[in-house]
Amino acid sequence: MSERRLQMQLGIGACLASAFLIFAAIPNWVAAPSNIKNILLSPMFWPYVLAGCTGVVGLGLIAAGYRTAEGPSEDFVDAHDEGMGAWVRMIGMALIMVGTMALMPRLGMVWTSMLCFALTAFLVKTRHPVAAVICAVVLPLVLYAFFAHVAGVAIPQGNFVRLP
Amino acid sequence: MSFIDSLMAGLSLVANLESFLALAGGVAIGVFGGAIPGMSATMAVALTLPFTFAMQPITGILLLLGVYKGGIFGGCIPAILIKTPGTPASSATILDGYPMAEKGEAGRALGMALWASCTADVISNLALIVFAGWLASFALSFGPPEFFTLILFSLTIIAGVSGDSLLRGALSAILGLLLATVGLDLIYGTNRFTFGDPNMMGGLNFIAVLIGLFAIPEVLAMVWHPTAHLGKARSLGNNWVSFDDYKKSFRSIVRGSLIGVFLGSIPGIGAAPSAFLSYSEARRKSKNKPNFGKGEVEGVAASEAGNNGVAGATLIPLLALGVPGDVITAIIIGAFMIHGLQPGPMMFVLNVDLIYGLFIGLIVSSICLFFVGSVAIKGFKYVADVPKRLLIPGVLVLCVYGVYAVNNNIFDVGVMFAMGWVGYAMMRWRIPAAPFLIAFILGPLLEDNFRQAMLMSGSDWKVFFRGPITWFFWTVTAITIFAIVRMGVNAAREGRNQPEKES
Repeated sequence: MSERRLQMQLGIGACLASAFLIFAAIPNWVAAPSNIKNILLSPMFWPYVLAGCTGVVGLGLIAAGYRTAEGPSEDFVDAHDEGMGAWVRMIGMALIMVGTMALMPRLGMVWTSMLCFALTAFLVKTRHPVAAVICAVVLPLVLYAFFAHVAGVAIPQGNFVRLP
Repeated sequence: MSFIDSLMAGLSLVANLESFLALAGGVAIGVFGGAIPGMSATMAVALTLPFTFAMQPITGILLLLGVYKGGIFGGCIPAILIKTPGTPASSATILDGYPMAEKGEAGRALGMALWASCTADVISNLALIVFAGWLASFALSFGPPEFFTLILFSLTIIAGVSGDSLLRGALSAILGLLLATVGLDLIYGTNRFTFGDPNMMGGLNFIAVLIGLFAIPEVLAMVWHPTAHLGKARSLGNNWVSFDDYKKSFRSIVRGSLIGVFLGSIPGIGAAPSAFLSYSEARRKSKNKPNFGKGEVEGVAASEAGNNGVAGATLIPLLALGVPGDVITAIIIGAFMIHGLQPGPMMFVLNVDLIYGLFIGLIVSSICLFFVGSVAIKGFKYVADVPKRLLIPGVLVLCVYGVYAVNNNIFDVGVMFAMGWVGYAMMRWRIPAAPFLIAFILGPLLEDNFRQAMLMSGSDWKVFFRGPITWFFWTVTAITIFAIVRMGVNAAREGRNQPEKES
């Protein structure tokens, strides 16, 4: 992606975000008492200022984009373009995160973390599958021992197998 | 309390095995974290933070400071061996460190890096001890208008951590400020972007946001490209640094340390510019000027002294004013908050024992750095052998436990995952994450002090110009903004002239 395109995309995104904040998000999701005499003290004042600044920066980015010469630029995406496989792995990672959130209250943090470790290790194509499985079992247990028995944190245990 | 009383109170806090083990352990973790490219000192500090919750405040903070100091030094190891700086601060070390490694003198370069780092660390710690108390006693006379102008000035530090685009840095900072508005309003107690969820009413958890922003994007980057990290480490060679090398480079080391102290005490400048400035000054004044860039040991000494000189000095604004000097000190503020401490001038009154305990610990950390660093130089081969594709899933699990442990709340883990995707998107669109985090910390303080000042003055804006302190901060803010704009205009002009010259 060229620098120009990047600036333009960000600028347009910032302007849209600013408009969304000013016309939809702040009026609907920020509550303010009706008897405030000075607008500067209103809970809405600060979000409106920031929304305005987002728009100004967005316009600045668009202007900077126009002034930037078109040309190739090496960035994170171009340097590591992995094609379709990368997107599939990213979706897989998103599913692992959603699964972790969904399973944690039911299976408990330790067992969920074991699954999370193992699945992530295989998702990034580890060359050490046996070590990955061993680490997947050992690391969550060690962390559980530390946080539950040393730090006194109530680690979620789940509904099935409970640890001491 | 007299100086001796304060010193004794500090000593009573840290003169125990636990504190020294925390320091030494912290330095070791930091060197390990800094030495692994892609892990970085910032990530090492962020991941260590949850382990400090169960500790005494002083022990936990010493552990983090150890990680910070170890991490800054550790970054030079891969910079010299594989031409990949473990931290941005070590970028200047590559210039002479890597050519030395190519000549089979990696051991000598690493040894000099360690000696220069320890010397600079001691000088930086002494500067902290001398200046922080003085600055804090001055800051005791600050009220809300003074704090508002100070924080406004501190927000200009974002320019220093914005990377190659100030506008993208500004966008990142505004997003951070916006995210900081989530939760109950500070004065009226009304809801702001809470969507009726009680978990959101206290605002988003700082630790979840910072770990999500700094650690999870690395996991996602690894998922996107699992083999990007593959590289080869070099052997250390048989040549080691001698005392004669140290003596010859001593002037450059002291000069670099002082540059580091000066730049480190100004919030937002960070270690990388200091390392480059120290390097260029050493090159300008050295007898071996033509050798610089080809494997000159004085070049390694100067750049490492420059970046380590910053480490103690960044704590001056943190402890004296409660303003983070860089991203890592922003994370360390989290440790203070978790233990119910608010860094700033009042800490020098209410927690003077803790302040002096930290000073003593910092001096000891320089000694720890020397011993742990010596071992780490020889042991790096094994550190580099940890497969990254096992390390990253481990980081993910560590993040889950660490974030959950802050409030015993699974919701925070969700916030961390969400912020991880935000951080990854920012990485892809080259929006720097550091301004986001700094603004997220300073945002509530800025708004709170603004509204308090307006309330106490009966909404009279002249309160923001009420005395010499506010005028001073307005002036330095204006000067900084002017300098930033001028720098931006010059950079843009150079950028436009470059293609013309090339064609």
